[in-house]
Amino acid sequence: MAESVPEVPSGEAARLTGITKHFFGVAANEDVDFDLRWGEIHALLGENGAGKSTLCSVLAGLYHPDSGEIHLDGEPVDLGSPHQALDHGVGMVYQHFRLVDRFTVAENLTLGHPETGFFTSRRSLERQVGELGRRYGLEVSPQAAVWQLSVGEQQRVEILKLLYRGVRILILDEPTAVLTPQESHNLFGTLRALADDGQAIIFVTHKLDEVMAVADRVTVLRDGRKVGGMPTSEADPATLARMMVGRDLSVPERPRTAPGEPVLSIKGVTAEGDRGLEAIRDVEIEVRASQIVGVAGVAGNGQRELAEVVTGLRRPKRGQIIMGGVDITRSSTLERIKLGLGFVPEDRMRTGMAGGLPLAANLALKAYRQPPLSRGPVLSKQAVEDRARTLEKQFDIRGVRGALPTSLLSGGNIQRAILARELSARPRVLVAAAPTRGLDVAAIQAIRQLLIEEAEAGTAILMISEDLEEILDLSDEVIVLYEGQVMGRLPRDRADPDLLGMLMAGRKVDAA
Amino acid sequence: MSLSLGPRRLTVESRQVPSRLVRFLAPTFSVALAFVIGALILLATGQDPVLAYTEMIRKGFVGRLAITGTLIIATPLIFTGLAAVVSFRMKVWNIGAEGQFILGAVASSGVGLWVGDQVGGPAGIVLMLVAGALAGALFAALAALPRAYLNTDEVISTLMLNFVALGIMNYLIFSSFSFWRDPGRATFPVGKFVEDVLFLPRMVGRLHVGLIIALAFTVIIWWALRYTKWGFEVMVTGDSPRAALYSGMRVDRKILSVLMVSGALAGLGGGIEVGGVLHNLDPRALSLGVGFTGIVVAALARLSPFGVIPVAILVASFSNAAPGLQVLGIPSEIVILLEGILFLCIVAGEWFLRNSIRVERTAGPAGAEAPVS
Repeated sequence: MAESVPEVPSGEAARLTGITKHFFGVAANEDVDFDLRWGEIHALLGENGAGKSTLCSVLAGLYHPDSGEIHLDGEPVDLGSPHQALDHGVGMVYQHFRLVDRFTVAENLTLGHPETGFFTSRRSLERQVGELGRRYGLEVSPQAAVWQLSVGEQQRVEILKLLYRGVRILILDEPTAVLTPQESHNLFGTLRALADDGQAIIFVTHKLDEVMAVADRVTVLRDGRKVGGMPTSEADPATLARMMVGRDLSVPERPRTAPGEPVLSIKGVTAEGDRGLEAIRDVEIEVRASQIVGVAGVAGNGQRELAEVVTGLRRPKRGQIIMGGVDITRSSTLERIKLGLGFVPEDRMRTGMAGGLPLAANLALKAYRQPPLSRGPVLSKQAVEDRARTLEKQFDIRGVRGALPTSLLSGGNIQRAILARELSARPRVLVAAAPTRGLDVAAIQAIRQLLIEEAEAGTAILMISEDLEEILDLSDEVIVLYEGQVMGRLPRDRADPDLLGMLMAGRKVDAA
Repeated sequence: MSLSLGPRRLTVESRQVPSRLVRFLAPTFSVALAFVIGALILLATGQDPVLAYTEMIRKGFVGRLAITGTLIIATPLIFTGLAAVVSFRMKVWNIGAEGQFILGAVASSGVGLWVGDQVGGPAGIVLMLVAGALAGALFAALAALPRAYLNTDEVISTLMLNFVALGIMNYLIFSSFSFWRDPGRATFPVGKFVEDVLFLPRMVGRLHVGLIIALAFTVIIWWALRYTKWGFEVMVTGDSPRAALYSGMRVDRKILSVLMVSGALAGLGGGIEVGGVLHNLDPRALSLGVGFTGIVVAALARLSPFGVIPVAILVASFSNAAPGLQVLGIPSEIVILLEGILFLCIVAGEWFLRNSIRVERTAGPAGAEAPVS
């Protein structure tokens, strides 16, 4: 690792000039300038697909730009690989961690490190890890195996790995996307401490409040181009949002339609998780027509199992599920779909979509069974394509290029496509799990608007979300899940973040 | 990933979607490379590669006898190739076409011997072929049922069942006085021949209508995979079984049907080999590895049903030419070698479809690069 930085350097850490990078003729970056100073946290703000990750990947040596120059510490460099970038002190923490699960933290740190010999001193390594950890709030046990660590701890290991490699320019690609609010807060502390020690940090995000909370400067990208940059002290969230999206944003308003008949009743349902332990226990939820019931809770408290039990992907051990007067407890997924159940799954890329197939096929995933897409056993390719074009237009799905795999679309467009498919089936009940997780501001807004309109049209919506703001903005009633049990249920007007926070942490609250 | 070579550097980037040109060039180049490597091996063993290759083309394709011979050998390969295509498309790995082919031959020869000349030619032939397909499908079901409902590994089970099928066939002819064995031949055991009326009609020379049936099934499989609900479900299940379950598809039934269709194709191939070429249950002629070669054929055809036809003909021409090479003093094993090299080169060529290589000067400024491949 870098021997502790003797003095805080000043001046320019990195300068990227006129960076252009095209993929299949589409500009991911177009003539982007970016500069980074030692000792600063520089936020790179933009929607999904704005070119943030591409720009970072260029600096991290993963992509070679079509044109443009990179200067590090004033010197022009040519970064041919992440390895070379690391040798220049540039390292990136990717959204998907690159750790070996079965190895310990210490082993992951030495893996690929140029000074790792055949024999290494475990003790000196552990001492260094401990020292780095204390200094920057990155405590993690060097002997622990990576698979035993929480997501937040794994991220710390990624950062430690780079610091141990001597990285002085640290790039974090949407680091908070996988963290709880508390973990995000800790991460910000770490980043600040690193910057105070003279490291230069690029913080990629699409969340405005994070920019305001942690960054010294911000650069905004839109459609692959730089649209502006300023010190955070001169920025305000509304201006940044406008720069990022290119227009003013309005918060979707939830009108209050009187709820109708109960359409979905979950009665005393108990189900096991993948490891055979009870993941949800005696859950009671009722959703009425035109009602949005929000299920809040910290991830891993039975939300996924709840959604799977309702949609037929998991068998309950006890209890009953009634939909529109029909007992569907033992019904197959297909029968439930035919009864009018729509499902927006949490895992968009593997469950919600067959990622390797073209979008048109994915949009047909449920409708292919009936005319006009098929007659008898025969499928009409033309009807599949026509329907896809219509839905793409109606739901504003962008970036579709013929037969290319769906997985190449941005998260927001994939989610729009899933909603397009589910809503076009005119469901009576919609289960939406983490409907806006990981999406950018404009997409979040569009998805929420769609959910609200769907509820207004009479659909009963069970929305499972870890985003409290989303729960509060959209729900008519809030259910809190904790360790698989309903910890509390509150009508919208009695729910507030503090109360929900306590329930989510497992504390009984009398008012509930 | 990058590799430094003096002042130049090779950089590998993964490409998400290969261009049309690359999709054409990579396999073409792979085939050419395979022949070059084959030539080097021939040279190293003191043979004349030009002579060997011209002989292979001559014995495989030049003249009526050569062409019909090649097509006769290609016919069963088309069936086992299609069998592999259907199952591999859904990422279910039926390695058991060999056994399904053998049992198809057992069943159709059995039915042929049983009906004799009682039902007439056409009906008898249809019965034989249906029996072959059915036997292949049912034999595949032995592996498909546990795969669909208990999630056992179909690679192991289908592979092992090949030996079961081989054992059954050898028992029927060599180790017992079964219904299949000709009791008149006591010295060397042979299968009893079916009546002449049950021979598949011939078109040119010895070339029988099995080829037409093979072509017809190629079209049917292509159409079924592309234009039916079943084909759509196979495609979705192959890409993401979870997405298939989520959209209400019965993944277990899909596994069962795909493996049984695959088995039926291989079994039909066995039936056609009996009806068109052998006319009896001949263990030696039926255990030449047609099922395994079908896997190679499907892989070389990149799992395209129509690709199976030219690849099967190419591979068949090798086998057809092998005895002729032997006469010239060129070891016939060269064709097996060439088949293997071809397979390796194509698989390696696949890598170029997914990655591109850039050569660039390390010293020069960014942008001085020449994309290749």
